[in-house]
Amino acid sequence: MKMSWSKRQKLAGYLFIAPNMIGIVIFFLIPAIISFVVMFTDLDFLSKAPVNFVWFDNFVRVFGDETFYTALKNTFIFLLAVPVSIAIAVILAILLNNKIYFKPVLRAMYFMPYITSSVAIAFVWSLLLQPSTGPINGFLRSIGISDPPRWLASTETSMYGIDIIMVWYTLGFNMIIYLAALQEIPTDLLEAARIDGARSWQTVRRIILPLISPTTFFLLITGLMGAIKTFGLIQAITQGGPGDSTVVLSLFVYRTAFSYYELGYASAIAWVLFMIVLVITAIQWFGQKKWVYSN
Amino acid sequence: MNQIAPGPAQTATGRVTTTFLSYQQRRFISKLVLTFILTFLAIIMVLPFVWMISTSFKTGNEVFNYPVEWLPAHPVFDNHIKVWAEGFLTYYLNSLKISIICMTGSTFFGALAAYGFSRIEFKGRDQIFFLYLAMLMIPPQILFVPRFIMFNWAGIYNTHWALILPGQFTIFGVFLLRQFFKGIPREISESAAVDGAGHLRIFFQIILPLAKPALVTFAILDFTWNWNDYENALVFLVNRDLYTVPLGLTNFIGEHNVDYNGMMAAAVAAIIPMVIVFLIGQKFIIQGVANTGVKG
Repeated sequence: MKMSWSKRQKLAGYLFIAPNMIGIVIFFLIPAIISFVVMFTDLDFLSKAPVNFVWFDNFVRVFGDETFYTALKNTFIFLLAVPVSIAIAVILAILLNNKIYFKPVLRAMYFMPYITSSVAIAFVWSLLLQPSTGPINGFLRSIGISDPPRWLASTETSMYGIDIIMVWYTLGFNMIIYLAALQEIPTDLLEAARIDGARSWQTVRRIILPLISPTTFFLLITGLMGAIKTFGLIQAITQGGPGDSTVVLSLFVYRTAFSYYELGYASAIAWVLFMIVLVITAIQWFGQKKWVYSN
Repeated sequence: MNQIAPGPAQTATGRVTTTFLSYQQRRFISKLVLTFILTFLAIIMVLPFVWMISTSFKTGNEVFNYPVEWLPAHPVFDNHIKVWAEGFLTYYLNSLKISIICMTGSTFFGALAAYGFSRIEFKGRDQIFFLYLAMLMIPPQILFVPRFIMFNWAGIYNTHWALILPGQFTIFGVFLLRQFFKGIPREISESAAVDGAGHLRIFFQIILPLAKPALVTFAILDFTWNWNDYENALVFLVNRDLYTVPLGLTNFIGEHNVDYNGMMAAAVAAIIPMVIVFLIGQKFIIQGVANTGVKG
């Protein structure tokens, strides 16, 4: 039996995507469905009690849980690292995009943190930020700040300490992407601006920044998404402490699931986290039209 | 590009400069100043690494001397010896095994799927691809609990399979490679098809060789992610002899949390392989990251 051309094409197409798709179904789609069911139950890995459907009780519990609001607040402080990192990265990228010496070496130096293990580097920072004996506070004292912040050791500043580490960690990535975007700006456009007598600050503000706004938008979305999922770095250095001062939502999910084994409740929190991701996406999706320049 | 030749005040661009310096001289000075500022900032960026390496060669009471002694006066190797004596070799081998198997599988399966999504026309293709897009949004937090249940049920919880099997399939890899495959001119594969080559032959003999830079880029990135992955190992591995490097590192630090030199020696052990991979594959890594961003 001979198949028609379009049928053969269809079969070939399916065969090519099949191995990957089967894996994606097993390890992404099915777990997502299971999680959607589990969030309505009181599934507890440690108790031998039969599992019941409690429907929306888990959600009632989430919104009445004080830790949830702490985690929500901490998550927002954590997310501050994203725009800060992007802002520094754009300045660095614009400077690096000029004619300078050692450009490839400098670029590699800025990018280096990004490829290293975030856990390993978090430990280095936790010593650098040591309040009484660490070199950073040593430096701050030597320039006359007699009472430097206690960073990760204090509930007031711990989240900001983690922000510093995140900014340092993601800076190189953002910068590399900006550098690539700057390459795409036609040089005659900049040349024309220069001949028209535009000062460099005007060129940056009126030409470069609008032209790279799609990149800013991309970095903001992926950065926020990435940060909202991060918990390994925080789990490794503070375990959410001191107190609950560095418990972010993703860490709250992890803790509920794998320290207390309340799998049903943890799934419900995870879906609340997902809803926040969706809201951020939606806001940015509609906001994009307002401030992203496009031709 | 560093001509310092003194030029007339009237420059090639036709602008009359009002300073003593010629256009070229001003260019040279601004280049020098910029280089200086950016080098200074770059040094600050890598200082934590320098401090880490330097501390790993110090003895206990030298750690927090201020001002920092960047070159230890009496370098010792005890810290590094201790780290390696306490199981880091096992962690290395585990990480290497998992990262290599995941890298190979995800690149190959990703390339196959990317070919299907980019170079074969069939009904439902774009809908399936849209589904992939949607699944990229699911945060890993949602997946940990059900995977934990599934892996327990399948008996692969607390085995390397729990990391290796999901690691074979990435959505991101399909995106990245699809993007690249789309850029390969249609005529190349069409003329081969006219000559009677099937999709498999076109894939292996034409597309894969042409896509080598993209494949290498994705493979290196995927290797890096797997090597540095702490969260999955934390959730799915319990036995110490199964630990990967990041998990072994946190474990070591948990046990030696007052031994700062030992901690830094362990951090060095965890970071150095990635630094070496980066220095060798720098071009591919930076290019690859840049491509994902611009063409996203």
